[in-house]
Amino acid sequence: MSDLYSGTDLFGEFDRLQRQMAGLFNTFPSSLRASRFGTFPAVNIGATDDSIEIVAFAPGIDAAGLDVSIDKGVLSISGERKPSLQDVSDETRVYAQERFTGAFRRVIELPQTADPDKVQARYENGCLMITVGRRESSKPRAISVQ
Amino acid sequence: MNDTTEVTQRDQAALARREGEQSARRMTITPAVDIFEDGQAVTLWADLPGVTRDKLDVRVHDGNLSIEAEAVVPTPANLRLQHAEVREPRFARTFTLSPDFDTSKIEASLQDGVLKLTIPRREEARPRRIEVKTG
Repeated sequence: MSDLYSGTDLFGEFDRLQRQMAGLFNTFPSSLRASRFGTFPAVNIGATDDSIEIVAFAPGIDAAGLDVSIDKGVLSISGERKPSLQDVSDETRVYAQERFTGAFRRVIELPQTADPDKVQARYENGCLMITVGRRESSKPRAISVQ
Repeated sequence: MNDTTEVTQRDQAALARREGEQSARRMTITPAVDIFEDGQAVTLWADLPGVTRDKLDVRVHDGNLSIEAEAVVPTPANLRLQHAEVREPRFARTFTLSPDFDTSKIEASLQDGVLKLTIPRREEARPRRIEVKTG
């Protein structure tokens, strides 16, 4: 495998460039709990009428080492990812080391309507999927007209 | 709306527009990789979260190694996406392979969303230590 990298996709490349630029100019004020672009793991958040769905894209982690907790309406995901190659000898040549290694922590502010007693988390194919239920009182309901 | 991959989809209209412009090429994520080489083989790890074995395509063609994959994240049907750092569920990355490698003996495994490829060197391309005789 040569280190020559034949470009696959221009948009993917822009994405990488943007990540690098964000790392260089990470001085803009933002929310206290906001993390900068490109942190590990990437997180997608969605909502349904009954729940808040969070997906953390965290491949290659031992599920037992993942820690998911909720404290005062703040959901936090933490864990550690081990390097792909443990015993790097003198003869080993490293061509690319882009994958994240080490300890990580991501914090997500949950809306007021989230019920911390109704949380489910499962780890599948490198994705951590967390479902946080909503409080009964906050669910949308139709009001019948008398 | 596709009810299985909603979490990783951008709004469908934008996607459709782009596909209309260039139907052959879709927006993809370049997966992060680690590549190490020792005397025997090159080993490559690629982060492909949410990818299952049947959605992964590793191909060797004309000295190119290409990895293509699609993530499938099960989500409820009526999900409204609020925040997305992964906007496209497709991964693609291509590398050139030098002829030193034996492409018929590539080993691939996928576990917890990480692809591991081992590409052995050809026997004749392995480093050898040459004995120096004295006398």
